[in-house]
Amino acid sequence: MLDVNKVREDFPFLKSGRIYLDSTATSLTPEPVLEKVLEYYRECRANVGRGIYNAAQAATFAYENARVEVAKLINAKPEEIIFVRNATEAINLVASGLKFHEGDKIVTTILEHHSNYIPWLRVKNTKKLELSVVLSDMEGHLSPSDFAPHIDGHTRLVAVTQTSNVLGVRPPIKEIAKLAHDEGALVLVDGAQSVPHKKVDVKELDCDFLTFSGHKMCGPTGVGALYIKEGLQELIEPLCIGGGSIEDVGLDYFRLRTGPSKYEAGTPPIAEAIGMGAAAKYLLNIGMENIEDHERNLTRRMLQGLINTDGITIFGPKDADKRAGIISFNLKGFNPHDVAVALDTSSGVMVRSGHHCALPLHKHILKSPNGTVRASVYLYNTNEDVDVFLETLQEISRSLA
Amino acid sequence: MRTLYDIYQIFPHTDCGYCGSSSCLTMLRRYCIGKSNLSDCIYFKSGELPTPKITYSPPAIKVPHNQKISYIRPCPSEPSKVTIEINILPPVHSPYGYFDMITADTIFQHQITNLKISPSLGIVRLESETGDVMVFSEGKVVIRRGADERSAFWEISRALRLLWATVNRKPRAESAQ
Ligand SMILES: Cc1ncc(COP(=O)(O)O)c(C=O)c1O
Ligand code: SF4
Repeated sequence: MLDVNKVREDFPFLKSGRIYLDSTATSLTPEPVLEKVLEYYRECRANVGRGIYNAAQAATFAYENARVEVAKLINAKPEEIIFVRNATEAINLVASGLKFHEGDKIVTTILEHHSNYIPWLRVKNTKKLELSVVLSDMEGHLSPSDFAPHIDGHTRLVAVTQTSNVLGVRPPIKEIAKLAHDEGALVLVDGAQSVPHKKVDVKELDCDFLTFSGHKMCGPTGVGALYIKEGLQELIEPLCIGGGSIEDVGLDYFRLRTGPSKYEAGTPPIAEAIGMGAAAKYLLNIGMENIEDHERNLTRRMLQGLINTDGITIFGPKDADKRAGIISFNLKGFNPHDVAVALDTSSGVMVRSGHHCALPLHKHILKSPNGTVRASVYLYNTNEDVDVFLETLQEISRSLA
Repeated sequence: MRTLYDIYQIFPHTDCGYCGSSSCLTMLRRYCIGKSNLSDCIYFKSGELPTPKITYSPPAIKVPHNQKISYIRPCPSEPSKVTIEINILPPVHSPYGYFDMITADTIFQHQITNLKISPSLGIVRLESETGDVMVFSEGKVVIRRGADERSAFWEISRALRLLWATVNRKPRAESAQ
């Protein structure tokens, strides 16, 4: 069980009584993470992988230790973790670094965030590939049989999200990975919305790449991670090369290193990576199962309240067991932005409105080009947060719709 | 402090036109801007009704309220339209605040049905063909889907006037007591 009152004490942002229901966009940062970041700046402010003096050693140790913590979170080896700026950069790194042949096929889905969609559209155009987009049903469900017709011997890569940032639905990654691997294709999983909220095990999923952001998992902004399965780094060219990523350089040649540093040219986001490591540790201490259970309870409460509110259309499944703590909805007669402004101004409830960087989904599946309102929960949200949100929404629906 | 609406309640409400104005409200409006005398009204002139004592000078401010524009931008969902957010500062010196008498008769002749109010949230909403306005008690006013900048500001003022009128209107029975 998660003691939410104890958890909340760690989050200074919550002290003002604000109700934060937008953790899908970015999460809040707890004191232990902030402390770790400051500790680096205060105690061992030096560059990594370079100096021989004590502080530089300490910085390198802290940075590499963060890699160990982040690896633990997803049951990977530290050498399989590459620090990048965010999930978006991780996906772009794979999209531009993977060698394709003309006619290769990429498979993605209609659920994707733009970050796991337009990089594939771009390589499709620049490298003359084929791109198939697997369509979901109205609630966002995807089954392995939806993928089967799209995956064949020409498929190079399947890129799919583990949790939709709009509908909260979770495509069956394990089965999709099996289908893909049977045809010799690689699998990239966008874990931006799953890794922070549930136990993710790359061995169990058997994915080849997993991408996620620090800022969505209680870590600092400016850092993310790319997991590349052992042995596959050879397939991926780095996005940037330069200092820190080379084995040897001569007048007219260079040889890149192997391992994560191949991809981490230049001074990395040291403090941020250390913060991300601390965040991984923080989440593991609380327990991913506990976090998931806590969010499921809040989601159930929220779904129930929304179902009982007049004029609300909920997108995605109505069953809390079938989705993560991300709920998009619309209120009849209201622009989603107006609902968000009304919630914020009258009750201090922060929710997101718009298309949540998933325009294809809004246009083709939800038929809601103006977007939706999205409320999402995380480990620090309470039943009271959900109730204030629901009561305000009910009053908006009653008096203003 | 009596609002202009309180004063209006003491008017005869016959709209007989004797005074040369088309209605009692127009008469009050003209009086407020110095264009008529109360004694132009047949009821006041004859003493049938007591002449209201109004010590009123027209508000010094022209705009209905002091406002600070937070932003003007294309609507996120319909880029050909505009969205504007302003913050209205508390009404200055004039007891009648930003209420603009010029539209008062429009208010009374039109039904205020599309003005939606939630006192508990402190939000008022006015939807129209040319924009959706929300007014918040803390002074924030947001319009979405404004046809263009000019009409968006017009919609904002209209919403504020309607709101002002509604808030200040007293049920007739109450003011008669
Ligand atoms: C599913 C999904 N993928 C990718 C991203 C991109 O994450 P970032 O902006 O941290 O790169 C997001 C962020 O909202 C997301 O929800
Ligand atoms: S004369 Fe008096 S009653 Fe008649 S319209 Fe004018 S103000 Fe009203």
